[in-house]
Amino acid sequence: MKRFLLAIVAATVLAALGACGGAETGAGEGQGAVAARGTIGFSAMTLKNPFFKIIADNLTAEAERHGFDVVVTDAERDVNRQSQQVDNFLASGVAAIVLNPVDRIAIGPAVRRANEAGVPVFTSDLQAVAEGVEIAGHVGTDNYQGGLLAGEAMIEALGEAGGEVLVLHFKQANSCVLRVDGFRQAIGEYNRDRTEGRIEIVAELEGGGLRDEGYRAMADGIQAYPDLAGVFAINDPSALGARTALEQAGRADQVRIVGFDGELAGKRAIREGKIYADPIQYPDRMGVMTVRNIVSYLDGEDFERVHLIPTALYRQADAEQDPALD
Amino acid sequence: MPEEKGGRAGRWRRRLLDVLGRNLSVVVLVLLCLISSAATWREQNPITSRSGAAVARQVLEACQAPCSVLIVARDTEADRVFAAAIEQGLDAGAARIAGRVFGQPRDVRLELERIVGAGASVDAIATHRIASEWGPVRTAGTPVFAPGSYHWPTFLTARNLLNVVNQNADIAIIALGMTLVILTAGIDLSVGSLLALAGVIAAVTAQEWFGGAAASPAGLLAAMLLGVAAAALGGLLSGTMVTAFRVPPFVATLGLMMLARGLALILAVGHQRRLVGGGAEGTPEAVRVEAAVFAWLGNGAVLGVPNPIVLMLVLFVAAHLLMTRTMFGRYVYAVGGNVEAARLSGVPVTAVLLAVYCLCGAFAGLAGIVDASRFEGGRPNAGELYELQVIAAVVVGGASLAGGRGRIAGTLIGAMIIAVIQNGLNIAGVASYEQKVVFGALILAAVLLDRLQPKIASRRARMTRASTSTPVQ
Repeated sequence: MKRFLLAIVAATVLAALGACGGAETGAGEGQGAVAARGTIGFSAMTLKNPFFKIIADNLTAEAERHGFDVVVTDAERDVNRQSQQVDNFLASGVAAIVLNPVDRIAIGPAVRRANEAGVPVFTSDLQAVAEGVEIAGHVGTDNYQGGLLAGEAMIEALGEAGGEVLVLHFKQANSCVLRVDGFRQAIGEYNRDRTEGRIEIVAELEGGGLRDEGYRAMADGIQAYPDLAGVFAINDPSALGARTALEQAGRADQVRIVGFDGELAGKRAIREGKIYADPIQYPDRMGVMTVRNIVSYLDGEDFERVHLIPTALYRQADAEQDPALD
Repeated sequence: MPEEKGGRAGRWRRRLLDVLGRNLSVVVLVLLCLISSAATWREQNPITSRSGAAVARQVLEACQAPCSVLIVARDTEADRVFAAAIEQGLDAGAARIAGRVFGQPRDVRLELERIVGAGASVDAIATHRIASEWGPVRTAGTPVFAPGSYHWPTFLTARNLLNVVNQNADIAIIALGMTLVILTAGIDLSVGSLLALAGVIAAVTAQEWFGGAAASPAGLLAAMLLGVAAAALGGLLSGTMVTAFRVPPFVATLGLMMLARGLALILAVGHQRRLVGGGAEGTPEAVRVEAAVFAWLGNGAVLGVPNPIVLMLVLFVAAHLLMTRTMFGRYVYAVGGNVEAARLSGVPVTAVLLAVYCLCGAFAGLAGIVDASRFEGGRPNAGELYELQVIAAVVVGGASLAGGRGRIAGTLIGAMIIAVIQNGLNIAGVASYEQKVVFGALILAAVLLDRLQPKIASRRARMTRASTSTPVQ
């Protein structure tokens, strides 16, 4: 019986190994064939959001073209997990590390450990601002400019009537704070000389940047602010969550939504008129440009250390002509 | 006579199996380490003084004197040791040093441009494998010398092993407190939130009461103690609910879990708001502690061993002694074994339960201080879902959720099993989703073993009786 039990345990363990062994040989093949220049370790903010998946996929494809192998890990919005991933990258001797910093300050000690080990750290989308850390290069969206565009879209959507507007925020991410700052700036400009048709931002609710949390926040928002005319959601998942809540409350026709990102599901919703417009980001370019920065760094070339990609407004008319949506 | 010999071998085999069976978790841990090692068998590139000396020998053998050499290394401690060894080796031969680079690929390019600009030339570049891949090194048009690599499991490198334990030291520390609670047939779901609350309180008080950037070590210690005290108080609260009001531990600690998390968020956001001068909206980011000493507990090391590991080991020894050598330890086992029997035999059940929950809170608070120190600030979102990892560690370590059975040493091994699996899967590049499946299976397996244990024991007893009753064949 004891031996039988031992066998069971051993089998379980071996099965677990089988899982990782399989993944291992997959990575190993890539390594043997092309990864002449080493491995790039990427710790994504959360792969539950397609935005970061697009960064990861483009980063991987571009890196492989340049002869690198890529290990993609998911920080699941937890800076502790992200720091551990950085430590693991350092232990396994990667050539470069790419992060979407989960917490721009608390990730500092981990980045400093990478600095001490001489491994360059690149950031994409979100910037790290902790003191005394060296970031080799950053590629992100000009989020403040995107916020301004979101404000313009809201002004356009509400027309001369103006009205009450709700913000679905994700304050933990500084990128979203910048978006809302830009949004407030644009709305403030619009309101300055007006007594009628003003746009009033009545509240900022926490939408978590996720579909389910956005849904819950919006459902509450409808109860608290029955006269809402518009919602600015800081990304597409929370915008789509808000749309579901509005539809369930039968208010979808009265409340216009402006999202952010321009991911596939968001663009589809724009084509169907469910979201009014998005300032769109270019996660694909972020992934590709980050790899080019790494290559430039390793080749000893000069490159733009902080590169912000401007957003563009994407409305229904753009969606109808977008071949990517078919 | 040959029969007796066979009998002796059989006895040895039985004894071995018996020992293995009793220390199943140790066996599993060793197995896991072996597997992780096999799965991470990789090329290693040494950057040491020995490999530096080897490179110098290579250069001297290959190079015709007089030969000018460029040494390329990064700006790290290990690289400087490596480069110094190269230089020392070259000094012994006929080579001349054309230049040294301690930095990035860009610095290599600039140095090469400088040398060429000065009319000099480079006949060889001495460096390590990593820098030998750098563009300017590869395209310099001169022979590049780097130490050879060897194969060794990445898992079994000192850096990685310290990582494994260090990364899970907080989980292990909380698991100590959780072991006590589970021994009394209770459960504590609030540990993750108490961790966050303790960290945030320590950070906020360090910043606002004890002088911020100018805080003295004593002030920082006071801030940390305040954090631990708050978490202990939280534990006392759930202990009171459990003892005085007979609220099931699951529900009492579930309530505290949400309460403490909310408080941590409120405190952090309030601090951020004060930071920007009021009015503006605060954000639930980490509350940064400016005093540099604050980071020592989480990031410093004693004789090369990271502080969290040292703290964890000290606490484990203390807890082990507490549970095996003191009256309190026996009381905890008694309460978990049978509350009524314990009460009737004069065990102060209420006091024991209060102490156990209070201790569990304090351990979570300590882990929170370690976390805050590690991230140089209190994170209101720290420790999410930790309760589950901690309970998993305790259960895998052999404690019974029914109470009364479990050991502190078992919990340490349980925590390490989880740590090794996580690390092995991480290094092997297994996605976190698949990791969750492995963990789920592991916990189920552990509970299953726990269920089967009494059956095995009774069967073993029967078998022993059978073998003693038939001595002659």
